[in-house]
Amino acid sequence: MTVNRDRAGHITLEGKCGAEEAETLLQMFLETPEAPLNWSGCGELHTAVVQVILAANPRFSGPCGDIWLRTWFAAAHTVPPNKAVVD
Amino acid sequence: MNSLHEQFVVEARELVLQTGDDLLALERDGNDAGSIERIMRSFHTLKGSAGVMQLPAMSLMLHAAEDMMIAIQRGELVATPAIITESLNCIDKVSQWIDAFEATGALPPDAGEDARVIAERLGGRVSENATVPKGGAKAELPVWASRLVKSVNRGASGPLFAILYEPHAGCFYDGDDPLSLLRKLPDLVALNMEFLGKGQQLAELDPFSCQLRLEAIAAGSWEELSAIFKNVPDQVHIINVPPESLPVENAGPADGLALVRAVLDEQRQMLGVAHSPESRDGCIAAAARVAANALRHGARNDLADRITRAGDVRDAKLLATALRDALEQLDRGADADNVQPAAGIKAGETEGVAGRTLRVDESRIESLVNLAGELVVLKNSFGHLAKRIELEKGSQELIQAARHEYDRIERLADGMQAAILQLRMVPFAQVLRAFPRLVRDLSQQLGKSVRLVTQGETTECDKSVVDRLFEPLLHLVRNALDHGIEGPDDRAAAGKDTTATLTLQAFRAGDRIIVEVTDDGRGIDPAIIRRRAIEKGLLTEETSASVPDENVLELVFAAGFSTARQTSDISGRGVGMDVVRTAVEQIGGRVTLDSRVGQGATVRLDVPMNIAMSRIMVVECAGQTFGIPMDHVAETVRLTPDRIREVKNNEGFVLRDRIVPICSLAELMHLPHSPASTSEARLVMVTEAGGKVAAVEIDAIRDRMDVVLKPMQGLLAKAPGYAGTTLLGDGAVLLVVDLKEILP
Repeated sequence: MTVNRDRAGHITLEGKCGAEEAETLLQMFLETPEAPLNWSGCGELHTAVVQVILAANPRFSGPCGDIWLRTWFAAAHTVPPNKAVVD
Repeated sequence: MNSLHEQFVVEARELVLQTGDDLLALERDGNDAGSIERIMRSFHTLKGSAGVMQLPAMSLMLHAAEDMMIAIQRGELVATPAIITESLNCIDKVSQWIDAFEATGALPPDAGEDARVIAERLGGRVSENATVPKGGAKAELPVWASRLVKSVNRGASGPLFAILYEPHAGCFYDGDDPLSLLRKLPDLVALNMEFLGKGQQLAELDPFSCQLRLEAIAAGSWEELSAIFKNVPDQVHIINVPPESLPVENAGPADGLALVRAVLDEQRQMLGVAHSPESRDGCIAAAARVAANALRHGARNDLADRITRAGDVRDAKLLATALRDALEQLDRGADADNVQPAAGIKAGETEGVAGRTLRVDESRIESLVNLAGELVVLKNSFGHLAKRIELEKGSQELIQAARHEYDRIERLADGMQAAILQLRMVPFAQVLRAFPRLVRDLSQQLGKSVRLVTQGETTECDKSVVDRLFEPLLHLVRNALDHGIEGPDDRAAAGKDTTATLTLQAFRAGDRIIVEVTDDGRGIDPAIIRRRAIEKGLLTEETSASVPDENVLELVFAAGFSTARQTSDISGRGVGMDVVRTAVEQIGGRVTLDSRVGQGATVRLDVPMNIAMSRIMVVECAGQTFGIPMDHVAETVRLTPDRIREVKNNEGFVLRDRIVPICSLAELMHLPHSPASTSEARLVMVTEAGGKVAAVEIDAIRDRMDVVLKPMQGLLAKAPGYAGTTLLGDGAVLLVVDLKEILP
């Protein structure tokens, strides 16, 4: 189990998270929408997991443990969403 | 195959045809904006439909084709013959795939690989040109890409590519992990992840349905990037980022542009503030001056001039609008004069012009035609009934009423039948549209320069006729290109334009359609035909001299006759003209040939406008009635006994300096008959069937009528000598004789 809840009630991600973890993570966010996410111990996250994080838009208690994602998530996340879908 | 698939197949075929035409027009007329626009739209529509049908290979290839057309539209790429050929190949591929899809419900197994190869080739053309843009036109990046490019805050270390990755909703189930692919990018420069389900409640989120849009800028090579995304070609769109759209550090336009923007923005805000009337004009003038200077600093003199002009009007709103436009132009980096009218408006206009059509299954029309035919038969029988009332001396009033009603039914039935037959009328363009491509390809293959002129596209005729004319026309066009038209050197030597002209024209003559294939080539030399005919044993040395030239020309229609010295892939197997005549005669048509040596040749096809109805003559012989198609009868002649001569064992008579043999229809039909009396005038029909002239003797002509000819069925289907049957008014079956088959 790589998705857990610590004693402080924070949701934690540990190690590499596969697609199947997305559902668990979503359940936790639904149970406690206000719970911060601690992902400092996580490894590579599957896109499905990242999508749940994007959708839940939680507070973070610590930087992302996955360097690639740490580099790009913050930047990518803050770029104003592009509404004009150009084909 | 469900109805959606059927619809797709029908529409896709139409688009393929249309696109082929437009591509050829583009090649012929140079960079015609209308053609480019239409081609682009067709590619786009086809791509969209392929997406709906879940044919990713097709979407992928068409996407690349569409990109190439966009590049042409922007002037980055010139529509060279090579590019047109590639586009045509792409369309051919689509056509093949549609056939396969119709037959099997799927694309051929190698479609994915084919699509990738073609898409890469097309993409290669775009990217090799995009790095060296031609002329002054700047490449325009999609909005998402240019926005992302702006966030790039470092010098480019090599060519940059903008990547748009829109994963399928079900991609997680396919084992895809889109971000892991992006992780593989060797030199990621910028990334934007957008969650598309923002509005929805978290509880409604399906964690296994991908709702992301990923936009990235990465350095590297096209090959490298394509390799990374090779398994999701239909979900990824890679665009070359032209160097000029990047913030370049040494000249400082990144800062410079930002500065210009900031200045312009400030002027806009200042204009928004309320000013006292006396200071307002000064403010506007100042804002315009500052903004124009900033734009000149940013090397956008075109925009600066506009701002200056807007400022001269002294209207705050106008200037604010001009400033907003200028900001947008800066964003897009597009040339101000290069603004294209919105495609949507154009599309709307053309759709408004096109006639509204209804697509109906051919078999439904067919059943209507049959019903109308039955109605005509019933009408005829009513006419018969009216006559009987008259003969059996019914009351005058009843006779009048019956006649009156008959007239009304006749008018209605005829009108209805005409209207229904009209449904089957299609413009001749349907058969002509295949030829521009064919002529282009063949003339290139043969190294000849040929201009095709088509006329009479709007001439309408029955679909069955149009469909059956394609093959004969194909043979004629091939023959003209291969044998008729000379090579450019020969033409130059003969003092002709090196580009030959091939004309295909259709026009209406009464209830017939005339189609002419004319070339200005070398024509057909009767001397060569004579020699060839002697070689083939069709003529002897002695007889050849006595046959007039125009009759000699007829020999090219004989089976197995070819004047070409060597057979080629294209034509010349000696069957072409024979096939033409057979095919045209099958639909009740005639072929004639006219040629002037050194000046060219014209082949004329004369076919009925529709073959559903035939005009027949009802004749009597040996106590029986037969129908004879009017097409076969040139004239009827009443012969007085003194005109009839014994020629050898046969009878004959002279008609306009020609001896015409007389045959008896009763004899031809193997009916018992008494020899004609020698004292009475005799009735003959002169027929020109199968190239022979003969007079067929009959006892009487009963009637002429339009009938729906039904082919012989069942056991009789193979009975020789009959063209078909039809029902007479009194319910009797009339056998319609095929004179061509029964004449000896």
